[in-house]
Amino acid sequence: MTSQNITWSRVGLPRRAFLKGATALGLASVAGLSLPRGARAEGGTLKTRTYADIRSMDPAFSQGVVDEEIHAAIYNKLIQYKPGREWGWQLDAAAMVEQADDTHINFALRDDIGFTGGFGAMTAEDVKFSFERIIDDALESTNKPDWGPLDHVEVTGERTGTIVLKNAFQPLWNITLPYIAGNIVSKAAFEQAGGKIDTQPVATSGPYLHAGWEPKQKTTLKRNPDWKGEAPAYDEIQIFHIDDEKAAEIAFEAGEIDFTRVSLDSVERLKSAPIEGATLDEYPSLYYAWVGMNLDNPKLANIKLRQAIQYAIDVPSIMAGAYFGAAEPSTGIIAPGLAGHREASMTGAAADLEKAQALMAESGETNVSLTMDILNKSANVTAAQIIQANLAAIGITLEIKLNEGATFWELGSNEGLELVLNRFSMTPDPYYATSWFIAEQAGIWNWERFRNEEFDQLHIAAQSEADQAKRAEMYVRMQNLMEESGAYKFITHESTPVIYRNTVAPALRPDGLPLYRYFGAA
Amino acid sequence: MLTYILRRLGLAALITILAVTLLFLIIHMIPGDPVSTMLGPKASPELRAALEARMGLDKPLPVQIGLFFANMLRGDLGMDVFTNRPVTTIVLGQIPYTLVLILSSILWSAVLGIALGCYSAVNRNSLGDRLAGVLSVSVIAVPAFVVSLYSLLIFAVKLQWFPAIGAGEPGAWGDQFHHLILPSLAIGLSWVGYIARLVRASMLEVMGEGHVRTARAFGLPERWITYRYALRLAILPTVTVIGVGMGFLLSAAVFTEIVFSRPGLGKLVIDSITTRNYPVVMGSVLFSTLIFVASTTLADIINAILDPRIRAGK
Repeated sequence: MTSQNITWSRVGLPRRAFLKGATALGLASVAGLSLPRGARAEGGTLKTRTYADIRSMDPAFSQGVVDEEIHAAIYNKLIQYKPGREWGWQLDAAAMVEQADDTHINFALRDDIGFTGGFGAMTAEDVKFSFERIIDDALESTNKPDWGPLDHVEVTGERTGTIVLKNAFQPLWNITLPYIAGNIVSKAAFEQAGGKIDTQPVATSGPYLHAGWEPKQKTTLKRNPDWKGEAPAYDEIQIFHIDDEKAAEIAFEAGEIDFTRVSLDSVERLKSAPIEGATLDEYPSLYYAWVGMNLDNPKLANIKLRQAIQYAIDVPSIMAGAYFGAAEPSTGIIAPGLAGHREASMTGAAADLEKAQALMAESGETNVSLTMDILNKSANVTAAQIIQANLAAIGITLEIKLNEGATFWELGSNEGLELVLNRFSMTPDPYYATSWFIAEQAGIWNWERFRNEEFDQLHIAAQSEADQAKRAEMYVRMQNLMEESGAYKFITHESTPVIYRNTVAPALRPDGLPLYRYFGAA
Repeated sequence: MLTYILRRLGLAALITILAVTLLFLIIHMIPGDPVSTMLGPKASPELRAALEARMGLDKPLPVQIGLFFANMLRGDLGMDVFTNRPVTTIVLGQIPYTLVLILSSILWSAVLGIALGCYSAVNRNSLGDRLAGVLSVSVIAVPAFVVSLYSLLIFAVKLQWFPAIGAGEPGAWGDQFHHLILPSLAIGLSWVGYIARLVRASMLEVMGEGHVRTARAFGLPERWITYRYALRLAILPTVTVIGVGMGFLLSAAVFTEIVFSRPGLGKLVIDSITTRNYPVVMGSVLFSTLIFVASTTLADIINAILDPRIRAGK
C-alpha cells in the first residue's frame, strides 16, 4: 500500500501570468483546460480489464500501454492526452507550457500537486530529474528514444523551468510529453529507492493511488485523498488482468467488469443482440497492417511482379472475411486523424485484376511461387488465405507460413524473407510510423529493406517542421514513396471496439485506449 | 521400506535433473529472443548487448545450463527480465493457486469417482451401473476447456451463481472458495468418470480373488468384505493413476487458468514462454517438474505402504 502522507508548502506562483504567455498550441489545449469531462465524485468501484500484467511502475522502464494506463492515473505529466474523438492534449501538472522557440519549451507547474509518502510538493527539480534520467545512458532506459533530442532541463525557479532540445522535435507534443516518458516522478523518492524502481511505486502524485498489485490477477487503484484537482469519479478502480478477449467478454456479460475492449468478431453479435444496460462503441485504431515484400530477395526483384501483387490483393474482401466488416481499408501507415494521413492509396483498396494480370504479363515471370510469413492469429490466417486466393488469380502460388509470436518478431533479420503480413503498433505522431522504414532500419524493423534517400531526408526534416500543413505533405510524400517501391500493400488500421456499462462514462483516447483518471459515472 | 523410499527419492532427483536439462535445451533451441521482446522496437545495439550480458545469454549454452543448476542449488533462480523481481518469489506466489486448484479437483473427483465405482461394482449390471457407465464415459470424453467454457456460460453468465474470473480476494476464504468451484469442476469432471471406471474394474477383479471368496466362506458381512478388503486393494491403481495424472492436471490447469483468468503456474508458464522470459520459464518448469515428480513418488510410496508385495520388489 502506498503511503498517503503528503506534506508540501504552497508557493504562490503567478499562474495567470503564465497562462497569458501560452503559445497557440498551448492555447488550443488551454481551451480544454477545463478539467476532464465526466469527473463526478459519485464514488464506488470501477472494474475494468487489461490484456497483460504490469511490468514496471518506473516510467523509464514502462513497457507500453499496459503500464501507462496505470501510470497516467497515479503520476502527473506536464500535459495529458485529452479524452475524445480527436487527438489533442490538455494541461495536467503544468499551469503553463509554451514553445518559446524551436528548441526551448518553458513550463510552470501548478502549486497544488504533491507526492505521497511525505516527499513534498512537485517542483521543477522533479521534472528535470524525471526527464533527464531517461536519457542518461547509465540508467539504460528502454524509453530513451522517446525523448529524441532532449539536451537538458533548466530549472529557473521552484516550479518553473525550460526543456532544452538539441534540435526541433515536433513529436514531443504528441508522443513524449503526454505519454510514457512525460510522467513526472519524485526525485527524492527515487534517489532514496536507489535511482529506479520495479513494480511498486515509491511516491505518486495523481488523482489515484496505487493500492495493490496481485500478480497475474489485478491492480487496484484508490482515490488519492490529498489530490487537489478535480475529484476523481471512483473510490477504487480494479484493473483485472484478462489475457483473452473472449474471456473478458464473458466476464463483462457476467457483470464482473464494467469496461473492456472486445474482439472484432464479436462486434456483429453485440450489435445484433446488445447486452442490456451496456453500450458498444467503435474507435479507429492507430495500428497499421500491410503486406510487405522483401526488396533484397531476388524472387521479388522485379518491380512489375511486386506491382502485380499490389493490384491483385483485394482489401475489401479481407475486411469482410478477416475483420468481420468492423475495420476499414487503410491508405498507408498513418491513420485518419493524424498529420500525413492520405485520403487514398495509389493502388486502391479493391483488387484490379486486369491491371494485375497485365503487370504480371509485363514482368515476364512465370510459375511464381512465394511464401508469406504471418503471425498465428486467426484474423491473419483468414487474411492470408484471401491473399492466397487473390494471388492465385494472377498465377502466383502462395504458401502461408504461420509463426508463433516471439519467432515472428525475429523475422526482420531473415534475409530470405519473401512476403510478410505485418502489423505495427503506433503512437499519435507520424514520425513514429516512418521511423521504422528508413534505410538504417533495413533488416531490423524495415523488413522490406526499403531504401530511399528522399524518404530518409524527409523523415529527418519532418521531425522539426513546425508548419503542420507542410509536415503533413511530407508524410504523404513518404507514403507515396513507399507505395511506389512496390514493396507495400496497405491493408487496415483495424479498430478498437469497446463495451461499457451505461453507468460508466468512459474517457478514451481517440484510438479507444482508456484514460482512467478521467473516467466518470454516467 | 526405508531402502525403497531412498531408492525412489534418488530416482526422482535424477528424473528432475534430466527433465529440467531437456526443457532448458528445448526452450533455448526454439526461435525467438527475450531481449527483442523486452526492449521492443526502440532497442539500441548497446542496450541489447547490456541486457544479453545481464541475462547470461552471451555465454555458451553448456555454461548457461551449468550456471542455472549452480544457482538453483543456492536457491537463486534469477530475476524476471521484465519486472526485475526474483523468479523464486514470482513462482512461489503462483504455485499455491495451481496446487489448490489441482488438489481440490482431485479430491472431489476421487471421492465421487470412488463412490460411483464401488456402487457400480457392487450393483454390477444394474440400471444404476449402466447409467453410471454411460455418464462416466461421457464426461471422460469432454475436454477441460469445453467444460470451462460451458460452465462459465451457464453458471457465471446466465445464472450468475459463480464468478467468471479471478481467484478471489486474498485472505477471504469464502470468496476464494466461491471462485474455485467452476475451475475445479472443469478440471475434475473427466476424472470422476475415469476414476469410477477404474475403481469398478479393479473392484470386480478383486472381488473374484481367493481371499475375498475365503472371507465370504467365513461368513463375514458383504459390506465389510467390500469396503475393508476389496476396496483397499482395488484403490491401488487409482492412487497410481492420480499420481501420474498430476502431469495431465497441470496441463489442464493451464487452459483453465486462462479461461477463468486465474493466477497460477500454468498462466505464468504460457506468459513467460510467449515472451521468452527464460528465467521465469525455467523457474516455472522446475517447480512443475518437482510437483509432477513428487506426486508420482508419493503415489509409489503410498502403494508400497498399502501393498507389501511392492516394497518387497515382487
